[in-house]
Amino acid sequence: MAKQLAFHFDSSVCNGCKACVIACKSKNALPVDVNYRHVYEYGGGGWVADPLDPAFIQPNNIFVYSLSIACMHCENPACVDVCPAKAIEKRDDGIVVVDSDKCIGCHYCSWACPYGAPQFDPDEGTMQKCDMCADVVDEGGKPYCVAACPMRALDFGELEELRAQYGTANEVAPLPPADITNPSFVMTPHRHAQPVGSKVGRVYDDEV
Amino acid sequence: MSTNSFLAKTMSDVLLNRRSFLKWSSALSSTAVLSGGLHNISENMPLTPAAKAAESAGEWVTAACWHNCGGQRCVIKAHVVDGVVKKVKTDDTHDDSTEQPQIRGCARGRSQQQQCFGADRLKYPMKRKNWEPGGGKKELRGQDEWVRISWDEALDYIAGEFKRIIEQYGNEGILETGSTLGSLITMLGGADKLWGSTSWGTWLYTGPIIGLGDGLSLTSHNDRLEMQNSDLVVMWGGNSAWSSQGNNMHYYIEAKKAGVKFICIDPYYNDTHMILADEWIPIRPATDHALALGIAYTLLDEDDPENGPLIDWDFLDRCTVGFDADHMPEDADPKKNFKDYVLGTYDDTPKTPEWASEICGVAPYKIRQLARTIGSTPKVSLLTAWSVARVNNADTWPQMFMTLGAMTGNIGKPGCCTGVSCWERTADGGPFLISAGGSGAPRASNDNAISVSINNNEAWSAVLDGKYVAGYDDVRDINIQMIVHDSGHALNQKVGMTKGIEAHRKVEFVLSLNLFLNTNSKYADIVLPITTQWERYGFLKGNRDHLIWARQVTEPLFEAKDDDWVARELATRLDVDPDVVDPMPLKQQVFNQLAGATVIKDNGVDFEPLLTISADDIAAMEVEGEPQEGRITLAEFKENGVYTVSRKKGDKLGYIAHQAFRDDPEANPLKSATGKLEIYSEANAEMVKGHGFNEIDAIPTYMDPIEGYKDTFEDWDNKVKGEYPLQMFTIHYRRRSHSIFDNIPWLREAFPQELIMNPVDAEPLGLKHGDTALVTSRHGKVIRPVFLTERIMPGVVSLGEGAWAEVEEDTGIDKAGATNTLNGAIPTGQGHQGWNSLNVKIERYGGPDARERDYKWSQRIPIKEA
Repeated sequence: MAKQLAFHFDSSVCNGCKACVIACKSKNALPVDVNYRHVYEYGGGGWVADPLDPAFIQPNNIFVYSLSIACMHCENPACVDVCPAKAIEKRDDGIVVVDSDKCIGCHYCSWACPYGAPQFDPDEGTMQKCDMCADVVDEGGKPYCVAACPMRALDFGELEELRAQYGTANEVAPLPPADITNPSFVMTPHRHAQPVGSKVGRVYDDEV
Repeated sequence: MSTNSFLAKTMSDVLLNRRSFLKWSSALSSTAVLSGGLHNISENMPLTPAAKAAESAGEWVTAACWHNCGGQRCVIKAHVVDGVVKKVKTDDTHDDSTEQPQIRGCARGRSQQQQCFGADRLKYPMKRKNWEPGGGKKELRGQDEWVRISWDEALDYIAGEFKRIIEQYGNEGILETGSTLGSLITMLGGADKLWGSTSWGTWLYTGPIIGLGDGLSLTSHNDRLEMQNSDLVVMWGGNSAWSSQGNNMHYYIEAKKAGVKFICIDPYYNDTHMILADEWIPIRPATDHALALGIAYTLLDEDDPENGPLIDWDFLDRCTVGFDADHMPEDADPKKNFKDYVLGTYDDTPKTPEWASEICGVAPYKIRQLARTIGSTPKVSLLTAWSVARVNNADTWPQMFMTLGAMTGNIGKPGCCTGVSCWERTADGGPFLISAGGSGAPRASNDNAISVSINNNEAWSAVLDGKYVAGYDDVRDINIQMIVHDSGHALNQKVGMTKGIEAHRKVEFVLSLNLFLNTNSKYADIVLPITTQWERYGFLKGNRDHLIWARQVTEPLFEAKDDDWVARELATRLDVDPDVVDPMPLKQQVFNQLAGATVIKDNGVDFEPLLTISADDIAAMEVEGEPQEGRITLAEFKENGVYTVSRKKGDKLGYIAHQAFRDDPEANPLKSATGKLEIYSEANAEMVKGHGFNEIDAIPTYMDPIEGYKDTFEDWDNKVKGEYPLQMFTIHYRRRSHSIFDNIPWLREAFPQELIMNPVDAEPLGLKHGDTALVTSRHGKVIRPVFLTERIMPGVVSLGEGAWAEVEEDTGIDKAGATNTLNGAIPTGQGHQGWNSLNVKIERYGGPDARERDYKWSQRIPIKEA
């Protein structure tokens, strides 16, 4: 099997602090509105009269968890197939990269990607996305987001090794089903994680 | 949800996009005052991912993160190329492990490149167009135009105003809200200073008086590895995931992974609870004391020493005073003991769970369950945060919390503790294992300087009304005509900002030294641009297990100067010896701190010098000193930027708070008046009385807080809600360290300063997620987008403290949502600020720009250059 680098994400310890997002911004000199990594909050539940003392209300299955998501460097990257300029390719180590010199900024990749990874940079007029800090990885280092995480929720490495260490989970709500693109992604679900496709909760959109 | 809901949002109307960053950068390189290093900034900004390869040049420098966030004191490393920080990373000096964790920084610390190099940095001294000595058009403060002036003009104006005001009104005419000109002002005869607890609530003064500790100078909780020996952590308030970022929250996670259970008591199921909580007990803000009394009653009611002990009578007997009539101080009325108060022996009001539940909103059976759990679990860490004590009339809350720990015996034993787990000490108590030495810089002193201290709550009323409370039955007159903001952010960060702005428009002169046109500066007459720590020689900072040497990253930007330089220049104009106000070069101070740094030995008792310093090192630093032997070389410390003490379970570096006291209280008395934990504390009651606002009991009795839950009702007995039906508590917000970083574009984008609200409360008001709400209190109004979530208790809303107020002159509405616009100045007890007791009403707001995110606002750049 071809070598494939991948991210591991431990949702059980992610507190949504976005140190990864800002580490990525700094490494890649990104302006506002361009983010290679996003952190989403997913949750639900409500309030009901306490069955043991109806004079009081109590939480009813209130749950929440965070997901830190960047490019999944998929086995079947949807972005590569739709790019009319053939600007996106998968390296030998599985990292999916955009060649800015070829990119025409048509947005097709961003529309095709179920994870919303490709970002349009209005200044450059091109699509950009997480390249797993390929320059750092090539020198033997770790992606900035992984090295940044104060909760130690992010890891990276060979996909098969990550699976051996952390298991094979790669989808929870509200992520898309993994069989669309086969993401190079391993996750440790939060104790309240809902199955992919679940409608129990909602994304608490930060873009209020 | 749709699989495409993660798609990037519309990319229009970007404020600080790369183009404008470059535009600013090229403006930078054309500014004459710049040192040579910055000329290449525009060429060096990476334009495309491919161009990023050209980053081999440059140096990684351990940079300061100097902010008072309450986090770990983290390692930030800046990649500096030609004086410009290109990117930032964190601690990678060694592999990460539980024994020796990397000291990883947070989103805030990692955003400092947008702070130091922010387009909105103050670039040169400025004066308000319509200001003149004496005040000019004072009402225009906050809306006047700014005019660039030279440093000489600025310093001459300021020196002139110091002279004029002192001659005309005396030194009492000056209010100094910060400290960086403190030595100068002392030598000029002093100024009025502000006093009172801020973040610590009532823990600052009461914690030490009752013998427990305050979470600041004396920690009352165990160290991070000892916490793993607990069976249960009760987390009463606190949100480390937002307030104390960096490693602190990680230490809690390690305890959870070690099998510790967490019960979290809070109005909001916050991001800390998201990770830790095995059980969440929602509680109304500012009602914690009532819940604690309900627990205490249950412990007394259900304790069965033979078959089901809940109370540690031995500990109460040996280590506390005031619990019952048999353990009162000799001169105290035996009837005024805690037990009889709880049982209602003399006031006919037993503090039953039913009594408590009406106030705190926790069902009586849950209060009983909680009491049984805490009382019967062998090893409990009862941890609280200062937030619970930032409540009006909360002067005996620390006593109340301590009493729960004392009753259940969770003090001074392995795996057990009761206290404040907060700020940089979150989840890791105990004395420092490594510390910097002293700077050696002498402090200026002046026996003739005045000593006027005004409570934080009265800062602005003292200006407006000319009176302040100086103590018990002691109200004094004062005439303040000059406000000096030398560091800090008093106008924005003290309660009662609406009156604060009025006060700023009353006096004759307002001076602000700052990095930005923050709220202090916006309402000033003259502002001086000050350097960041990144533009200075460096400093040392650390926490219990580590010490960081932060070094200079770049030369001073624009015309910015150090505070010490300003003090020196003013001194020469005011006939004060400049060497008294600026006595030692910073480089020498840093060297002294390095040379004096000590680290604990493995025996857990002795310390040794941290650094080996050679004569060559001293010569290279161009300082005075003596060579010395230590654990590591100066060169190694400089290279790594951090030294971390390695810990492991069972080592001799752990900490169990109050262990020696528990083992033998007579031989190891506490620093309270009686040497014991004071459930009855005459000293606390006397301290409060002495401040002159109100009186309290010596035992922790419940007082309704001003603007607490009951004040949301017009008719409490019939439960008819009043004009301000909701409770608000303010929260340390992720975007900021208090008010620092509020202007940082990356952080504004990541954390939108939203009003957190339950859909149950929003629906009847017609408010949907993302709509803008008008929040009105008895003291002011703000607008903010609402973030609807079931995670907050119905009837309660929350807003992050520290946003830089944006007050519209015509409506008085603060668009930024600064919580001190809403919090009024209500001096109670020990003069702390009761931010978490606050009543509000909420309406839908449809005014102009209602939905615009604040990261799209224009930055505060006072003079726009072509």
